[in-house]
Amino acid sequence: MSDNGKFARQLDSGLIDELRAIAGDRAIVSHPSELKVYECDGWTIEKSAPDLLVMPRTTEETSAILAALWRRNIAFVPRGAGTGLSGGALPVGAPVMICTSRMNRIVAIDLASRRVEVESGVVNLHVTNAVKDAGFFYAPDPSSQQACTIGGNIAENSGGPHTLKYGVTANHVLGVTLVLPNGQVVELGGPCEEGCGYDLVGAVVGAEGTVGIVTRATLRIMREPQAHRTMLATFADADQATRAVSAIIAAGIVPGAIEMMDRLIIRAVEDAFHVGLPADAGAVLIIELDGLASALDEHAAAVMSIARGSGASEVRLARDEAERAALWKARKRAFGAVGRLAPNYATQDGVVPRTRLPDILRVITAVGIKYGLAIGNVFHAGDGNIHPIILYDEREPAQVRAAIEAGREILTACVAMGGSLTGEHGIGVEKQGEMPLLFSPDDLIAMTELRRVFDPRERSNPNKVIPRPGACVEVSAPHRQVPI
Amino acid sequence: MTDSAEIAKQIASLIGGDRVRAPRGIETRAAAVIATPASSAEIAEIVRKCEADRIPVAAIGAARTMAEIRRTPVAIGISLERMARVVAYEPHDMTIVAQPGISVADLNAAMEQSGQRLPVDPQNPQATTAGALIAAHHAGPLRLSEGTARDLLIGIQYVGHGGRLIRSGGRVVKNVAGYDLMKLMNGSFGTLGIITEAAFKVRPIPDDYTLALASWPDVTSAFAAARAFSDAAPFAHLEVTSPQVSATLGLAPAFSLLAGFSGTRAEVDYFRATAARCAAGPVQFLDGADAMIRYCALRDFDYRTASLAAQVVVPPDELARVLGSCGAEFRAHGASGIAQIMTHDALSADTARATLLRWRERARGARGHVRVLHAEQETRAALAFFDSPNGGALELMRALKAAFDPANIFNPGCFVGGI
Repeated sequence: MSDNGKFARQLDSGLIDELRAIAGDRAIVSHPSELKVYECDGWTIEKSAPDLLVMPRTTEETSAILAALWRRNIAFVPRGAGTGLSGGALPVGAPVMICTSRMNRIVAIDLASRRVEVESGVVNLHVTNAVKDAGFFYAPDPSSQQACTIGGNIAENSGGPHTLKYGVTANHVLGVTLVLPNGQVVELGGPCEEGCGYDLVGAVVGAEGTVGIVTRATLRIMREPQAHRTMLATFADADQATRAVSAIIAAGIVPGAIEMMDRLIIRAVEDAFHVGLPADAGAVLIIELDGLASALDEHAAAVMSIARGSGASEVRLARDEAERAALWKARKRAFGAVGRLAPNYATQDGVVPRTRLPDILRVITAVGIKYGLAIGNVFHAGDGNIHPIILYDEREPAQVRAAIEAGREILTACVAMGGSLTGEHGIGVEKQGEMPLLFSPDDLIAMTELRRVFDPRERSNPNKVIPRPGACVEVSAPHRQVPI
Repeated sequence: MTDSAEIAKQIASLIGGDRVRAPRGIETRAAAVIATPASSAEIAEIVRKCEADRIPVAAIGAARTMAEIRRTPVAIGISLERMARVVAYEPHDMTIVAQPGISVADLNAAMEQSGQRLPVDPQNPQATTAGALIAAHHAGPLRLSEGTARDLLIGIQYVGHGGRLIRSGGRVVKNVAGYDLMKLMNGSFGTLGIITEAAFKVRPIPDDYTLALASWPDVTSAFAAARAFSDAAPFAHLEVTSPQVSATLGLAPAFSLLAGFSGTRAEVDYFRATAARCAAGPVQFLDGADAMIRYCALRDFDYRTASLAAQVVVPPDELARVLGSCGAEFRAHGASGIAQIMTHDALSADTARATLLRWRERARGARGHVRVLHAEQETRAALAFFDSPNGGALELMRALKAAFDPANIFNPGCFVGGI
């Protein structure tokens, strides 16, 4: 029996009528066949559909919905576009899902102060689209930026290739409107560089939806750099490529992005999209510099020289905006390309100190061999933020188990090298079991104390992030129990 | 209430007589007794003792901020002078881990040979500890291009309630594992615990530094130029100073723009041309040692000579208008919407309160806020140093304080809303 079963009885018709009165008929989805769409996010290994989906249009509706649930002590799971990769939007003991996608208005643009106020269901890329003609951009750029929402980015503290130079979501969110799990609406931070009192915005960003629902946010936008130089460097193997990354950074150059793709990914992308990557390469780096037009050629020459000195067989400079766009398209569509290689894949997310990249890539290779799984690598090399993509077939229970085990082994190695369990995907349900590798019981208690400041009954996205020894919820992956 | 001598004796019995001393100089305004623990275990002992006996305790850094914000000295001030070491520096990973008692200047000295720095430039880096940089959220002109401790802090350890040693973040530059307790400690003014270790990401020291100086007779023109500079190129800093502050820095007594930039020869040439174009008037350029001397004077500008000084924070485009309406002297981080404003007038408690209220009204009218940085001894008791957040936010902050400091011992009574 799914854990939701025991809550389903609480969803009496009285509640559904009340929610319908608050948000309207079209805001409610209750038929099991329609709810199946929401049974997982981008972490597809585990599935569990909600009993009810509600899609509010405003802060006021969200507040009234959460208050109605709070009175009945019913837990909920917030969801943006469902592109998250750690099961953050997977219902685990939360019968009601609240989807923010209909709150999708850009509320105000203040170019003079470089602020944009948006509702949380606004798609990431739409923020940049709204200001790019004026010469501005919103810096965090996850690969899913054409679909993922600002609310989801705030929950997961999302990154992306250009966070190497510009920082992650937490560095660009200045204020939020937060609906607490009891329905109370609070304004945290605002349009200023610094808030007043404790930095609660900093605590809400990255809290993985466990402190309530963000319905609005004030974002900082940045001036678009004058120019870019985007290079593709080809290497015989991943080891050489990662050494080139360290050499570039050691030279005091801070690129906008340094991305790596290994052999498996290069071939997958080439087969799928024919973008002109060197199909026989062991690894490629996409290196992007940005800044003043008059100085970039000099920096680009330095980077190309360092790359060649590190063993690059070829370094190609994108000649125009079309070539640059093609390289980024190849990078951002890598995940889609991998989808052609196997019925399923799990995108892992770990971090090591940049200088340990060659070591962790050797571990990943060994883990792939040990479990008999193909693993590709496409990742943010400049940050030491790896993304092994583990291919498997969900129809084979043994392969699902192997994929989970392989992921766990790679993460354990990351932590042993002084790294972290996640650079940008979050803990969700996926990595709860590994949290004690990184944090002591006291650390986890302090984190729980913080969460309960916002949500004393743990009704918002329960059973995520913090593991509870000895307590497990079974989800639909074969023989997989989530250690809540 | 136990008296200071008794408290000193009890702390000495916990961690040793050589770890307790009387406050010196400005410390006398911050704390009644100074403890100098050498480890987080010793800090944990002190915290447990303080919780048991309800004795207020706080880390004091160099005591400059604490001497201002505390109405009465805290019973036990923790000086981290014995915890001032670099714990780990990895130049190739561009990360550094340090104990909180190290000064920002010493931290940077440890990285200089590798061509790296922590690019946060508080007033007087020699007297600003890494712990204070975080707890009091000090920053300087470079915040425009490099951010603040909030952006560069990648890991923290602190002693919280129960004497528990808590860790958040780590030693890698990108990390979203678990709740972000770093952001909470940042700018918490010692009210949630005692920081025992911090990890930062660091940046390369730029090739060169040039300073462009220009001035205008009115505040509006100076800020309009700052915005034009900011729109045209990524300057390292864009500081605007009022006439009296300009004069203190050796400039003509007018509204001045001090625009700093760094880079290769080609970049510097571009910045120079941009500055000349955007200033729409005469620009003086300084480089080499001349530029550095003037930059240090700007960074270290001391608002403590004023009778009342405060930090105004508003949306960037509102700053010129708000400063104009306050009519006070200022040093402003031009494109960040932050300024230190001050008056040198002789103030009574009543006039100090009225002045602060006027500044607060102006800032609040622009959706901003004001925090007092410095007041004279005679007026201090009449002033609320911290502005108040809105009701809902303050309620959460009180709940946070209660959860993280149930015995209410960490620097109580001087933060927002009396926390």
